[in-house]
Amino acid sequence: MQDKGLYYAYWVALLTVTLVGMGAILVRFTEGLAVTNLSNFVPWGLWVAFYIYFIGLSAGSFLLSTLIYVFGVKRFEAVGRLAVFTALISLVAGLAFVWVDIGHMERFYTVFYNINATSVLEWEIFLYNFYVVILLAELWLLLRRDFIRAGEGEGLAAQICRLLALGSNDVSPDSVKRDMGLVRILGAVGIPVAIGVHGGTGAIFAVVAARPYWHSGLFPIVFLVSALASGGALLAFLAAFFTKEGRRDRALVPTLGKLVGGLLALDLLLLASEFLVGLYGNIPEDMAAYNAITQGPYWWVFWAVQLGLGAALPLLIIFNGRTNVSPTWVGSACLLVVAGVLGVRWNIVNPGFSGQQIEGLGSAVLPTPRAFPITRLPSQLPEPTQWFFILGTLVFIGAVSVIFFHLLRQLREQRAGVLARSGAALGLLALILGSLWFIANNIPMSTAAAIGPSLTAILPIPKEYAATRFSSAYTPSLIEWLASAGIIGLAVTLFTLGIRLLPMEGEPVKEGAWHVRP
Amino acid sequence: MKRYAMVIDLLRCVGCNACTLACKQENHTPPGVSYNVVIPQEEGQYPNIKRLTIPRPCMQCDQPPCVKVCPVRATWKRDDGVVVIDYEKCIGCRYCMAACPYGARYFDFGENYTERGNEFERAPSPEYGQNRVREKGKSPIGNVRKCHFCLHRIVKGEEPACVQTCMSRARHFGDLGDPESNVSRLVKDRRAFRLRQELGTEPSVYYLK
Ligand code: SF4
Ligand code: SF4
Repeated sequence: MQDKGLYYAYWVALLTVTLVGMGAILVRFTEGLAVTNLSNFVPWGLWVAFYIYFIGLSAGSFLLSTLIYVFGVKRFEAVGRLAVFTALISLVAGLAFVWVDIGHMERFYTVFYNINATSVLEWEIFLYNFYVVILLAELWLLLRRDFIRAGEGEGLAAQICRLLALGSNDVSPDSVKRDMGLVRILGAVGIPVAIGVHGGTGAIFAVVAARPYWHSGLFPIVFLVSALASGGALLAFLAAFFTKEGRRDRALVPTLGKLVGGLLALDLLLLASEFLVGLYGNIPEDMAAYNAITQGPYWWVFWAVQLGLGAALPLLIIFNGRTNVSPTWVGSACLLVVAGVLGVRWNIVNPGFSGQQIEGLGSAVLPTPRAFPITRLPSQLPEPTQWFFILGTLVFIGAVSVIFFHLLRQLREQRAGVLARSGAALGLLALILGSLWFIANNIPMSTAAAIGPSLTAILPIPKEYAATRFSSAYTPSLIEWLASAGIIGLAVTLFTLGIRLLPMEGEPVKEGAWHVRP
Repeated sequence: MKRYAMVIDLLRCVGCNACTLACKQENHTPPGVSYNVVIPQEEGQYPNIKRLTIPRPCMQCDQPPCVKVCPVRATWKRDDGVVVIDYEKCIGCRYCMAACPYGARYFDFGENYTERGNEFERAPSPEYGQNRVREKGKSPIGNVRKCHFCLHRIVKGEEPACVQTCMSRARHFGDLGDPESNVSRLVKDRRAFRLRQELGTEPSVYYLK
């Protein structure tokens, strides 16, 4: 990001998203969970999906970092610190999602002393904390010598680094050796912890005997494999586009990509196994979930996001001999994987609630409108919030436009095709028009649910595939989306600050400096 | 020792939902929260069709999956068999709702039937003898709520509101610990069964079919 304009635009876009999102979180804080579209049939929604998504990213990238620091796979060394740092930020984001999701946010700390040993969730909370400690310690040990080195300079970054060195000033090879020895131990301890962190998160669902779709021994394993795939993919993407090493060592990203491809294939195999066994079983509640996934209102999440963009396309790119040598191609494919896993997570949480626990239960409950005014925006928001929101949207559009134009200019310099340019321009136009339409029409926030029908209208898909007869009765509200954007924005902000201010790539370690033999 | 149980005679139930309403009256529950529901089920194909209505309170399971999963021990099974929730402890994570096989748990999103909440809605609820008034940001808003066999009534020797109100006397309430009680005799009936027994939840609510 040498370009000043691009740099500012990036920050403006990021900060508006974050600020608007924080506003949404504030609304959620004052109004309670009534601002969500959750109900007593679907008590967990978008935020829980994001929660398991980020915990997965965290566990995945951490486990990959242990390849380097515990098993000595030097190939990936360039992304080692990045991996640990990503794991930390993702974990924090994941925990933020649980936090906004609980009904009494102010009581979160009681989980530390009201302990229930039979609750998987309780075990997980303790594991998450143990895991944070490991991550922090490991990251510090990895960065320590560079903190000291960078702290000698001038300016803000140097000052921060001096502070973060925590008074340590020993840069001798011996101390580095000791650091790396400790990192190795921490990493080794971290492996079972990370497996517990994400496998256990899967177990939160798997132990629920009342919901046959979740209740399978394969579930925690599926969690782990998809976590590894998404974590690896995130690293490959970051390495391809945000590190010097990724550009220098042109084999790094493709190698990571192949690893991701393999994990993705394994994930698909597990998915197939789950589906086939489940379908064969033909248990009504189970079937309700599979029907909801494949032909419910969110069919497109499964077919298009999870399988198409998130698996088939990236696999094609990663295993195609012509594309898989280019970091840019593989990095982009990996970005698709990262996005696709979000579909996987959605399809873990949401379909679990599509069956009726007792036949007819859905038609028994007195019809109650659970449509809270704030699910429509902006006209029904209180006045100042409305303006805040509109302003935010406009600033965001502006900033994104700047980013677009810069990218376009770069493309021109590289003599990229007219196609790419016009595609980008069209995308920008669509974004601007869409946002204006959004502001003008106060569209009810069933956007997620509206995608299905509009896709069916465009694509040659049999009508039944968008049938609402397997309705899941839940579509995230605007506040849910915005709050999610806020948390993600905050995570990206922290991440960007981290890679800009901290010595995330560091000096390459001299051969043998940290190769402590066991 | 007391072990409270309920027996519901499905042949007597006419599906009038009086129990649902009596419960709402008693516990001042908001929209979307209905400790008791009456589930309509149809059996067979037209013209040989039979309609069945199954009232469903909380089953007060002896092996309650909801209790097992709660991260903060906010919900537990009392010695007398009633599964209760401590509104002050509950963090509102809704894990118990996911785990209950009967859909018997409800989250209080804080809504009212009328915009501000009318006099009735603002009146304290006698639940657990705590006389809580529902106020924004305070429990039980933001908590999970469920049927508690009208614990506040049974400690006074009264029947749960739904039992008292049932005009066809389909509901029976009593103590399984006493072999002579009405429920002890009824559960031995050949018609007695329990919902989703295969999950090992050991419900304390029996049905006669
Ligand atoms: S019916 Fe549901 S809420 Fe009631 S005790 Fe059983 S599992 Fe818990
Ligand atoms: S919602 Fe409350 S009672 Fe239910 S599991 Fe969470 S903390 Fe426990």
